[in-house]
Amino acid sequence: MGDTTSTSDAASPSGATAESTARAPFAPWDRRDLPGMFSVAETARRVGNYKWTEMKLFEALGGWIATIPELDIKMRLGAHCYHHAWHADLWNQRLPELREMKPERLTVPANDAIVRFIEAMTEPEAPELTIEKLVGVYRVLIPHFISAYTYHRNNTSEITDAPTIRSINFILQDEFDDWRDGEMMLQSLITTPEHVQRAASHQAKLEAIMVEAGGITGPGSIGGASPDGS
Amino acid sequence: MRQFFPVEDLARDERFVQTNMAERLADTRDPMEPESKRKSAKSRSASNRLTPDRPDASDRARSLMHGIMVGEIQALEGAGRTAHDFEAGDGSGDTIPFELKLDMARQAWDEARHVEISAKLGDWMGTELGEFQENTVLFEAACSNDPVLRLAGVNRALEGLAIDVFTQMKEFGDMAGDPYLEFCEDWMLADEVTHVKMGSDWLRKVTEKDPDRRTKALEFQQVVDKLFSFGGARGDHEESSFKLARRFRELAGFTDDENDTINKLGVDAFNERNQAIKQAQEAAAAFADA
Repeated sequence: MGDTTSTSDAASPSGATAESTARAPFAPWDRRDLPGMFSVAETARRVGNYKWTEMKLFEALGGWIATIPELDIKMRLGAHCYHHAWHADLWNQRLPELREMKPERLTVPANDAIVRFIEAMTEPEAPELTIEKLVGVYRVLIPHFISAYTYHRNNTSEITDAPTIRSINFILQDEFDDWRDGEMMLQSLITTPEHVQRAASHQAKLEAIMVEAGGITGPGSIGGASPDGS
Repeated sequence: MRQFFPVEDLARDERFVQTNMAERLADTRDPMEPESKRKSAKSRSASNRLTPDRPDASDRARSLMHGIMVGEIQALEGAGRTAHDFEAGDGSGDTIPFELKLDMARQAWDEARHVEISAKLGDWMGTELGEFQENTVLFEAACSNDPVLRLAGVNRALEGLAIDVFTQMKEFGDMAGDPYLEFCEDWMLADEVTHVKMGSDWLRKVTEKDPDRRTKALEFQQVVDKLFSFGGARGDHEESSFKLARRFRELAGFTDDENDTINKLGVDAFNERNQAIKQAQEAAAAFADA
């Protein structure tokens, strides 16, 4: 700063030539790209959908705790409830950084089908329906979260949208851990052909609504099927 | 899933036996002491406080730990319900602030860990799940349709009681030479102070422009506090089973006046109970004379 020394006479007082500190702006191992698929507005829209859905998920998990008789599952849901609340909080903090100063304005479902999905997922309440409760979360919703977040992370600008990527990476770690927890709880509960049928039937019912919704952020949640990926 | 969930429908496996506050108050037996373990008055300690030298210390500690565990289950369920039951909004009507919902989700995780801790401690102390009855009063306090009453009844009154109980269990662990118990209680105590502070802060914030609602909430808190004065078993006086942990209560947002009020509730209940015993003894003596 304020140094007027010419680049040609950069010798130290002792006479030794100083080693150059000039480097390329990106290290050879840093292969991040500038272009990304999402504008600021599109990113904010997706983030708003994520926040709305994460909220619905943590509310459902919190509400179900009292309805589940299996003690170990009751406790796990308490921990998972907080994970998703934290995700919603991360997205709530991100929205104003994406020029949305009233985060609640974009905290909305992608479409009517996703609202119907949440209603169908949260419908089971009776204590004997733990399998259905867990199937909705761990075999349908969380896998869709993982795919939507992964698509977003892999397609947004690695430089301009680094804060979103950082949040997604933290969130994905939780999602994978919770998915594994949930799948193990389900496998321990599904012990008869009748249980298998119940789980499969409920999963198919919910998956059909999710397909209609097009995923957590609507059609294009994980890109398109067209040759250019749009 | 329903918006509000009644206490009668709390889901438990077949090992648990539930009772409510009305049944508990109608039962004149000491709930801390199983029938098979009941001893003569002579073998009991003169003090009500839980100390390792009491002949009944082991059973009392096991019973108390089981009570803590089922209380933590209900606290987990209550926090989860509050995260679920109210829409995010400005705090008026049926809404609560988004950040309060997040705090309730965080509390659910904390309470889940407390269930894990107390289940392991119970096992360590030789207790089986369901060995003692479960009083559902904590969840009853979490069933109000007004979220502010839940904050007052659960986060301030009952979690405040947890501060007193955990402080005593921590001391008991220290006196009994059980660092495992002392260590765990110390960690749970840290969380409880956080939960009470959360309740104090949110109660103040949400009722900032609604003094009537705040008054109603604080009155409800006193009702719960009185219910849990256990006939004078909680307070600063020497005869109390649970001493008020004033230092930790201050950290959690209780004022000196509030702590004095809780202490007075305990003293009043203690005097009422002694008066009732005296009257019963006089009636029995009169009956014997006649």
